[in-house]
Amino acid sequence: MGSGGVQFFFEFTERDLLILAEGAKLTLIISSLAIVGGTILGGLFGWLLSIGGRVGAITLGWVLDIFRSVPPIVQLVLFVNFFPIIGFPLDAAEAGTLVLMMYCSALVAQVARAGIEAVPKTTRWAGRSLGMSYWQDLRYVVLPIGLRAVLPSWTGVALGVLKDSALVSVLKAGELMQVSQEMITRTQQPFLILGIAGLFYFALSFPIARLTEHLERRWQHD
Amino acid sequence: MKIGTALLASAVIGLFALGEVESAKADKLDDVINAGKVRCGVVLDFPPIGFRDANNEPAGFDVEYCKDLAAAMEVDYEILPLTWAERLPVIVTNRADVVFGATSDTLERAKTVGFTIPYAIYYAQAVVTRDSGIATFEDMKGKRVGAAVGTVPEIEFLKYAKEWGTEDLYQGFQSENEVFLAVAQGKIDAGITTNTAVKPITDQYENVIAGPRMPWTTDYTSVVGPRKDFGWLNYLNLFITHQVRSGRYQELWGQFVGGEAPDLRIPGVMY
Amino acid sequence: MEYTFHWRPVFNRLPDLLEAGLITLEVSALSMVIGIALGLGLALIRMSGNPAIAWFAIGWIEIARNTPALLQLFFFSFGLGAYGIHLTPYMVVLCGMAFNNAGYLAESFRGGFAAIPDTQMKAARSLGMTATQAYIRIIIPQVLRIVYYPMTNQMVWAVLISSLGMLVGFHELAGETQRQAFRSFRLFEFFLVTAVIYYVIVKIIILSSRLIAWRLFRY
Repeated sequence: MGSGGVQFFFEFTERDLLILAEGAKLTLIISSLAIVGGTILGGLFGWLLSIGGRVGAITLGWVLDIFRSVPPIVQLVLFVNFFPIIGFPLDAAEAGTLVLMMYCSALVAQVARAGIEAVPKTTRWAGRSLGMSYWQDLRYVVLPIGLRAVLPSWTGVALGVLKDSALVSVLKAGELMQVSQEMITRTQQPFLILGIAGLFYFALSFPIARLTEHLERRWQHD
Repeated sequence: MKIGTALLASAVIGLFALGEVESAKADKLDDVINAGKVRCGVVLDFPPIGFRDANNEPAGFDVEYCKDLAAAMEVDYEILPLTWAERLPVIVTNRADVVFGATSDTLERAKTVGFTIPYAIYYAQAVVTRDSGIATFEDMKGKRVGAAVGTVPEIEFLKYAKEWGTEDLYQGFQSENEVFLAVAQGKIDAGITTNTAVKPITDQYENVIAGPRMPWTTDYTSVVGPRKDFGWLNYLNLFITHQVRSGRYQELWGQFVGGEAPDLRIPGVMY
Repeated sequence: MEYTFHWRPVFNRLPDLLEAGLITLEVSALSMVIGIALGLGLALIRMSGNPAIAWFAIGWIEIARNTPALLQLFFFSFGLGAYGIHLTPYMVVLCGMAFNNAGYLAESFRGGFAAIPDTQMKAARSLGMTATQAYIRIIIPQVLRIVYYPMTNQMVWAVLISSLGMLVGFHELAGETQRQAFRSFRLFEFFLVTAVIYYVIVKIIILSSRLIAWRLFRY
């Protein structure tokens, strides 16, 4: 087919399905790390914002606001070129995970802060007057009430980060979106491959959505 | 006895550590040798120079060059798949030691990275749809034309498009393969690529045929390395000449492109 | 650190970047207008109770919300291309974003409609309004007010998503930045300036949305 007996284009085969699945696996790893890390960081930032007052809003709040106001794709290009400048050359998947994690934490911080502020002051005073320490109040009063209030928003953020992991494809990290793109140009079957990739993303989002539903139902009963 | 060995071992390791401190002034060549691995950036959507084979593994002329370099240096190699646009940034940001990526040696780019002597020579040529009616370069006026973003063909063609006032009809694509797909789908009438890619592409698609050669000059492409690492660039220069002298250059060109490999010479210039 | 920054090439190109910023605003705003119309339609269809068309709306909404926007853009470029439908990069971005916005906004609208008590409709009807009149005069204005804040968010989101135009050959802000940066390949410098421009655009949107809200909802 090609010159010199070398072949460059191939039909879509079952093996390609495996290659796509490999890409989906990396998408899952990148986005789970970003979501878990981003949630922990974001929770911390949200708490800092809730106690930080004006100073917190001006410093931390402003930095997080930047992460929410610049397109993730621009952040990715920016940081993958920035890390090596300061002497930490990261590979595409690492840099992508880190950027997504920061982006996620900026979104979660907003959610977490809303959650903390959703707990009425009077409820917290009640807890404190029963002899709870500040940390006990945070753990046994604010956390359970706040978590329930913000669970739907958190799910939205998590699903958003999962989908935004597709942008890591610009860095050639080998995740689902990039693998699909390369396969489209190799097999010339865009509809089939985009369809399969879409199903993979659906399948990855589904457990998160279901988990939320499950928790919401369970919490309604206690 | 055991303690003796341990002491000796730590002394040896200590000496090596001292060597590390000494090599604070080590250049890229030393770094690669000591790392035991050369990291090559290669563009994999540029058949037959760089592509993925049926097992999804990197293959092609540039990939073989990376393997040959690693063999010559007695180190391992790592292939870093790149888009056209990433060829220079990976060097600037030290994600790759060297780029084999058919990189044209423009003066603008030379402000950012270092170029070796030419290691392969191409010229730009279009692939066009069968019914586009494009036979000469002038026929491309008023037609929908595409090329990969960040490439010399894009920059050169846009100069003409601006003159013709047809910039709106030009579209940049993220990869060479997307350009071919766009021509095959009829999204554009002509895609500008490199002469070496024309045959595999036209063999692949029934409705895509070879188009005219572009009017701008021959594309001298160089291996890319960090701008200030002269020792490394020197080594790469020597590697290129050795590839030619050993016949490896002709062998690989014959294997992937076919026919006589172009003379790596710039007429009328000494370099 | 061995890296020496080159800022001059970026500042030489600043007018091009700012002009591209306007294109970003334009395509985002247009995609919002179309998205609001389509989203409202989808929400009404979904609530209509007619299973055949309700499924169409649900399918659209679920695909828009559960797959990456980038994937949706590829559908409009190479996906449709496979069937001989060739959109220009501008249309690819506009259609893709409108499709995406409509999916998200439909859900906001559905929430908005659910928040309006049934009794209002009954009251309007008993005053002699037709169902359509009641929708247009009573229900929808209230829904718009409820979804105003989510809509502002969606507009910001649209600006951020429009940056994907870079990957389908459209020269909005990110795409233009990529094109300019590739001449000298100083990506960090160019994209840093672009990040600042995006930040300013987003701030302008949020500020003007607050101003509009203050004018509209002050009573």
